[in-house]
Amino acid sequence: MDQRAILDHEFRVAAYIVTWVIQLSYLAWLGYRWRAQEKRGPGTRD
Amino acid sequence: MKKLLIGLYAGITILLMIWGYYQAIYVAPNDAMQGEIFRIIYYHVPSAAVAFVFFAISLAGSIGFLAYRQNAPDKAQIADAWALAGAEVGVVFCTVVLITGPIWGRRAWGIWWTWDARLTTTLVLWLIYVSYLLLRRFAAGPQMQTLAAVLGIFGALDVPIVYMSNRWWRTQHPAPVFGGGQGSGMDPSMLPAFFWNMGAWFAWGMFILILRFVIERQQQRIAAAEAQAALEA
Repeated sequence: MDQRAILDHEFRVAAYIVTWVIQLSYLAWLGYRWRAQEKRGPGTRD
Repeated sequence: MKKLLIGLYAGITILLMIWGYYQAIYVAPNDAMQGEIFRIIYYHVPSAAVAFVFFAISLAGSIGFLAYRQNAPDKAQIADAWALAGAEVGVVFCTVVLITGPIWGRRAWGIWWTWDARLTTTLVLWLIYVSYLLLRRFAAGPQMQTLAAVLGIFGALDVPIVYMSNRWWRTQHPAPVFGGGQGSGMDPSMLPAFFWNMGAWFAWGMFILILRFVIERQQQRIAAAEAQAALEA
């Protein structure tokens, strides 16, 4: 691979990693909130 | 049964994500001009589409809240939970758009950012909905939900402006790939990867949107129970 192709590859990988870090971090935060609510109060769900 | 359905949906979503990734990396060809960097489009464009749809859900929830708040408080609270869930998950996807776009731009244009109409209106959209979330997080009192609903409606007005920006004005951002008139479109060999990823990101988005909605409804019940307990104390 030439230098340009290597850089293209690295930027593409960076974009995909950033996407997944954001999405999975948000999912983890939702999971944390869910667990915190389970401890805090019962209530019925939709 | 409910847990089984949730597990089934989560499983299908994960399979779709894996299949979408496989299509984007191993099946779709490199773009003739841009090479591999073009493959960012398979995450960037679906994220923008999901953000737009979720901001529309937030708009519907905000209108619903304002419509029901006097006569049907329970329905108003459900609408408000949809408004919040749509705005918050929409901001997550919009954040992805605003980060993956400049990563692509740095290689394609040689710059991370430019103040053209598409990029600027997208940043404004993100800022409006971040303001909406900050209002909900830090404001208190009975008018908070009403104020948030009004801001949510104004925020959604920016969505069609973002969508039309590279049709109305000349922009550094590429011209529309779909629905952009003569010469627009994508090579047929790239379409399966594009649509599989579109489906996968919508499935993922719906999963976290519904999860966020359920959490907010639970939060509303806890807040109502605590208020009731405080009144009875």
